[in-house]
Amino acid sequence: MALQVLSPMPGRVANLSEVPDPMFAEAMLGPGLAIDPPREPVTAVAPISGTIASLFPHAMGIEAEGYSILVHLGLETVKLNGEGFTLLKAKGDTVTAGEPVIQWDPAAIEAGGLPVITPLIAIQAEASQITQLVADGTPVEAGQPVFEVA
Amino acid sequence: MAEITVTLPPGVGLHARPAALFVGAAAKSSCDVTIGRPGEPGVNAKSILGVMGLGAKAGEEMVVTAEGDGADELLASLKEILETPEGGHA
Repeated sequence: MALQVLSPMPGRVANLSEVPDPMFAEAMLGPGLAIDPPREPVTAVAPISGTIASLFPHAMGIEAEGYSILVHLGLETVKLNGEGFTLLKAKGDTVTAGEPVIQWDPAAIEAGGLPVITPLIAIQAEASQITQLVADGTPVEAGQPVFEVA
Repeated sequence: MAEITVTLPPGVGLHARPAALFVGAAAKSSCDVTIGRPGEPGVNAKSILGVMGLGAKAGEEMVVTAEGDGADELLASLKEILETPEGGHA
């Protein structure tokens, strides 16, 4: 049974090749897509139900049933040391898909010179395991299923 | 079992990019590989999320272990990856 992965935020679906970071664009971490968020404060929600295996102010990794999904809020945002991000959960917490995890303001991050496009990655999956449910360029809501991983 | 201790270079620590490179190299090997802090149980070094979940910071010491064929060579190459400062990667 395929696992549905939800968009963590409202925004526009983008192909990973549009992400200006080869680590994501070349799917080094795994396949997926990206969400280009609105330039206003948003709350990033859990893309799947599971355990928060990895949590940083700028990124969350959630594990469930052998799948791992990474949400990386913007690019190179590790450099901000958490400034501009508010964590609503802790590493090790169990979350339900759609539950709020991180608050951030893409407008402020972008004003600071960093890209805000947000990769949504099926960690260490094969490209053939992914079925994209929403075409590139389409606007989506937070919590809307955007791809399935088999 | 072979084991090395590596001090992470200045920078942002073992986050997504270094973790991806490190795990990519570990995953190519048939060895069982772990990484962790001294005195703590390590995590599977072939799991990107596991390695990122350590939240290892610049200047921290990390212990890497490997068991299996070519463990010493593997550890030498993993040490090089971990000790390469951010920006030094292709």
